[in-house]
Amino acid sequence: MKPPWKFLTLADQLLIACLALLGVLGLAWSLSAPRGQRVMVSVSDRLVYLGSLDKEDMVELSGPVGKTVLTVDHQGARITAAPCPLKVCMTMGPAVQQGDILACVPNRVLVEIEGGASQPADYDLLSH
Amino acid sequence: MTSSATNPLDPGQVRRQTYLALFTALAITVHTLEVLLPSPVPWFRLGLANVLTVVILFLYDSRAAWSLTLMRIGLGALLLGRLFSPGFWLSLAGGILATLLMCLARRHCGPLFSPVGISVIGATGHAVGQFLVAWAIVIQHEAIWKIFPIFLFTSVAAGLLTGWMAAVLLNYLMAHPVFSSKTNG
Amino acid sequence: MFWNRPLALFLLAFVAILAWWQSRPSDQVLHRTQFLMGTIVEVKAFASSSAGLDAAMDAAFAEMARLDQLLSRYQRGSDVERINNAEASIDVAPETEAVLRLGLDVSKKSQGAFDLSLGRLKKLWGFDQEHPHVPSSEAVHEALKGIGPEALDLVGSQLRKRHPDLSVDFGGIAKGYIVDQAIDVLKRHGVESASVNAGGDMYLLGYHQDRPWRIGIQHPRHPNQALDILTVHDRAVVTSGDYEQFFVEDGTRYHHLLDPQTGYPAGSSQSVTVVADSVALADALATALFVLGPDKGRGMLASYPDAVALWVDAAGQLLASEGFNAYRLDP
Repeated sequence: MKPPWKFLTLADQLLIACLALLGVLGLAWSLSAPRGQRVMVSVSDRLVYLGSLDKEDMVELSGPVGKTVLTVDHQGARITAAPCPLKVCMTMGPAVQQGDILACVPNRVLVEIEGGASQPADYDLLSH
Repeated sequence: MTSSATNPLDPGQVRRQTYLALFTALAITVHTLEVLLPSPVPWFRLGLANVLTVVILFLYDSRAAWSLTLMRIGLGALLLGRLFSPGFWLSLAGGILATLLMCLARRHCGPLFSPVGISVIGATGHAVGQFLVAWAIVIQHEAIWKIFPIFLFTSVAAGLLTGWMAAVLLNYLMAHPVFSSKTNG
Repeated sequence: MFWNRPLALFLLAFVAILAWWQSRPSDQVLHRTQFLMGTIVEVKAFASSSAGLDAAMDAAFAEMARLDQLLSRYQRGSDVERINNAEASIDVAPETEAVLRLGLDVSKKSQGAFDLSLGRLKKLWGFDQEHPHVPSSEAVHEALKGIGPEALDLVGSQLRKRHPDLSVDFGGIAKGYIVDQAIDVLKRHGVESASVNAGGDMYLLGYHQDRPWRIGIQHPRHPNQALDILTVHDRAVVTSGDYEQFFVEDGTRYHHLLDPQTGYPAGSSQSVTVVADSVALADALATALFVLGPDKGRGMLASYPDAVALWVDAAGQLLASEGFNAYRLDP
């Protein structure tokens, strides 16, 4: 059996090199964002949770399909339980940088990490 | 039906259809098995069915590749009970863009790309197609592109692997009298 | 392919370990949010063991959903709808009776600053609808006819309307009552520390781990700023503010806290925060004290010795009732 690289034509090699370069550049771009401050969660486009990225928490979010569990700890925010079959969202985390997102598509859950100089919230709940 | 002896259809055409059906059945089986197999990274699939798409594109033509892809996605979704779920649309978009790019590359760049190159093109198209649909319809948030590079890397790696398998398979098939007589239909 | 089977077995084992790892109770705090009563309801509960906590949460949310059915103006067949369709007398559910009893008490003691019979007026302004607008003064006048603390009479579970057109609205009290009942359910399930927060109407049960709960009070004019921080346990905290629901028409800002005397938005406060024993009481008091303003409000609070309040008056001045400072993080 011929080893894999023996099959490659010049165009193949150029293509793979280009894609790899694109991937590295994209990765560098996506890793360059600063650490976020706040965790924002919306279910079906409705904001349901706003918390600090520095405060440990575990939130159960009910969406159209079932219960999605968000955990915030020293690693960042991640989805620790999801009702969907593929559980893509559970492998997307942890999200720590500004602009990072975790999305549980079937359950319409969107977790966003926001940056900015926000309060290091010294209260547990806000009365409004 | 009439017997093949009096069939007005060209025997080559019948043979082509038989093999197409065989490849489709294989693609659906491989695809379903792959989905059912446990994987440490649940969304990640090698895309073994892509091996068959690449092979059929090299053995026959674009039309064969299209019918294989669409049948595989439609019947596969039916088998797994995923028809019209969000995952189905992602899979359909990925499949369509992948097939489109592979067919275009095959037609216009011909011998420039080996099966491995075509497979990598398809894998990239698959990732981009899925992301476009996820971005436009499901999440509607530009931040999903932040995780695209990772998907691109895994896709290209998977494309390389399946492409190599397709190349090996093609080598064997081309040597077989059934296909060696007739390469590009 | 001989190697395939061990690999699959290995992967299976790996997945099983992963699943076990993730299903371990890593933390004894449970947090759940759901859309209920037209707002976001957030329940947070602490427990020494997570066993039963899930069931307690389920029960609390189920109870809130049930009461929402009973007390909401928008639910078909709710007690509110039945009362509004009734000619004169009607028998109500025990829960509705409890809400009415407390509401009528606050209504009388506030001399009508809190009023349960504002259904028609609230519908006229339409704050909870797509396009609220300023109604004509005739319409407002018409909607105020027959309202007031004496408009409803409750004898046992029998409610008598003095006027057949009278329409009740539990907007300033039902949410609070429902939160109280959810807290009761949690207590009955053995939960000792929890918070239930329905869009700002909250009850803080027990302690937040090893210290009392810290509750920020929203600044009425700076959305991202806390006016003050309170430390509370086993108390209800409710804030009523003119920033919650409002619209602007011809350059004037109209908010949803209507003065039953005039039929127009009350103008003496920007926000009022009440700390009390029950959320239903805190909810009703916050509305009443908002309408009354700090001067008249202080007098009325004397009839509720366990409740305290903090006003931001129309000029943005902070005014606290006696005893409020005890709840401040930095008095």
